[in-house]
Amino acid sequence: MDAYIPQVGTHISDLETPCLIVELDALENNFKVVAETYKNTNCKMREHTKNTKSPLLAKLQMSFGGTNEGVCTAKVAEAEIMVQGGVTDILIPNQVVTLDKIERVCALAKQGDLKLCVDSIQNVETISQVASKEGVQIGLLIEVDTAMGRAGVRSPDQGVSIAKAIDQLDGVSFRGVMSHQNVEEDKTPEGRYLRAKETIDICLAVKDAIEAAGYPVEIVSTGETFCYDIAANIPGVTEVEGGSYALMSTSYSYLTEFQIAGKVLGTVVSKPTPQTAIGDIGSLSLAAPAGIIPTFDGDDVQVDSIHDDHIVLRTKDNNLNVGDHFKLLPGHQDMLVNRWDKYVAVRNDIVEEVWDIPGRGCYH
Amino acid sequence: MERPIIKPIGTPTEELDTPSLIVDGDVLNENIETMASFFRDRPQKLRPLVSSHRSPTIAHKQIRAGGTVEGIAVTTLSQAEVFIASGFTDVYIANLVVTKAKIARLCALTKQATVTVAVDSHANVNDLNDDAARKDTTIRVIIYVSAGDGLFGVDSDQEAVDLASTITNASNLELAGITGGEAVNDILGAKRTIEAAGIPVYSVTINGEADYKQVGMMEDVTEVLAGSYALMDHSRRELFPEFKCAGRIMSTVTSRPEAGYMITDAGQKSIGADTGFPSIDNLPESSVKGLSAEHGSIYFSQSKHCNPQLGDKVWCTPHDIATCVNLHDYMFIVSDGTLEAIWDVPARGRYR
Repeated sequence: MDAYIPQVGTHISDLETPCLIVELDALENNFKVVAETYKNTNCKMREHTKNTKSPLLAKLQMSFGGTNEGVCTAKVAEAEIMVQGGVTDILIPNQVVTLDKIERVCALAKQGDLKLCVDSIQNVETISQVASKEGVQIGLLIEVDTAMGRAGVRSPDQGVSIAKAIDQLDGVSFRGVMSHQNVEEDKTPEGRYLRAKETIDICLAVKDAIEAAGYPVEIVSTGETFCYDIAANIPGVTEVEGGSYALMSTSYSYLTEFQIAGKVLGTVVSKPTPQTAIGDIGSLSLAAPAGIIPTFDGDDVQVDSIHDDHIVLRTKDNNLNVGDHFKLLPGHQDMLVNRWDKYVAVRNDIVEEVWDIPGRGCYH
Repeated sequence: MERPIIKPIGTPTEELDTPSLIVDGDVLNENIETMASFFRDRPQKLRPLVSSHRSPTIAHKQIRAGGTVEGIAVTTLSQAEVFIASGFTDVYIANLVVTKAKIARLCALTKQATVTVAVDSHANVNDLNDDAARKDTTIRVIIYVSAGDGLFGVDSDQEAVDLASTITNASNLELAGITGGEAVNDILGAKRTIEAAGIPVYSVTINGEADYKQVGMMEDVTEVLAGSYALMDHSRRELFPEFKCAGRIMSTVTSRPEAGYMITDAGQKSIGADTGFPSIDNLPESSVKGLSAEHGSIYFSQSKHCNPQLGDKVWCTPHDIATCVNLHDYMFIVSDGTLEAIWDVPARGRYR
């Protein structure tokens, strides 16, 4: 790990690179957009903190408003980081199946309201056994597969039988339903609406069936950044799991109200031709899953190719020289932050704060 | 930072927390011995490229096995800092160091170890010499010849000779040798031209990640860089059948939504998919449908002999081991099915 903690007040031109920076004006803009969107809705934001991996940033969104004061984490280890950071309402929209990890969840449940998602009766029974032994109550939501073909029940009937099992067992409480979906080709407001409505309706159908069977549904947790504004207004949805919106990436360029706050600062280390500049940012520090190419922050420069520790930039008018700084915009924010240990937070190109990323690497 | 549950030495491998980077210690030792035995009795020697495992423990094993120049190669200055702190005394930084702050860090390192850095321009050579003179130290430099791939490096023999001449006239630099990208003949040609101009070139360092045997048998080559052989990966296993995959991600089945289909707890964040998908080693006819950030979606051939349940383990061989190692803070070393040791990965995230 690299604990690079530059002095507050440093100009970014004096930062060593590559360096993950957060532009505070953009970050605050994004938090305000969410606060404003959820100001008068019953539905609230439950920020997915797998993206920023920082309880400090989660609490910053809470202070701006729009949230239900709870968060999502993808993993148990991330939940531990959030509880340690003082966030106590936690939903893990994922399956936790092994005894050692369920015991960790039970330990956390003594400090907060811990909720897991399940998609099988077998998993419910295991959680119930451990929670009963530990004397805690674990909230359970039923995961519904709406579009991803990943985990989750495939039918309302499956949902009803799991809800029934939860209701009959000790140590677990039935709290609601959860789904996660992705946006498809059409990213216009109409396209996003149709996609969100079509998928979330599948989740709501499971909710309706469970309620008809006599089990009240307290939480419908769904949605993500692509439909943050739409899901909030679909009746029945109680909370939205947005995460990417905080730091943003080029893959969400269709949501123009948000700004990209997380960027990687680099330096030109070689200039083999007048129109070629080699930068010190590579796929290891940037995370460049196949097909997701980063973008140069500025005009007239194209990203030509990316290597392990270098990037090749093509310039039109010979405007980059050895030693010059440049910024890259990530294609995928979550993967990028997972490669870093610190955020260097800047405003008007001056370092204001340096924040840890305690959730980095919390895969367990 | 990773937060795996740390279990006692001797714990059966399949009881370890997941998703974790598990290294078969015996396979690792065999791989290291296979490579060492190739170079042991040759004039050409290996310089382990340690950025593909980022572990000083593995690097020490590589040096102890023999057949090396008794030095290592890293890809960034901050990796050099980690390995020098771990006792390595000969480190080649296979990269350019150009900014003032970094040149100052480089000079500081030269007081702890023999440090060599690549150069491709007069301006950089002058900057390195100026700071080394101020700090009263010597920096070893190695001329990087372009492979014609658009990356850095000098583009012609004449440029190489001019740069060699500037280096030999510099008060606080030492010309260590020549290196470059994959165009080996261009590097050797540049070497001969520099020597014809009366400047000795002591080392010729060639990257052998694509074919260590071929470059390891070339007459003028003195050092071969290679590193991924130690842990191996899916992208290289067919090319190098003499090495076996030692570094793999052990994951857990977390959902079985459909017959012949499973969801696991390892996705792009813990395996890495920058260059391609992992292979699944312990399921018949398996294929990776997709890797989300935290999930693996895997098809397999279900039968009465193969019907994994929630909690069962799935072994993934990463496509590129360097990408995978860079995601982890711990390597769990196993032997004969139990945990033997836990090594940390101190050079993870050392990009600077």
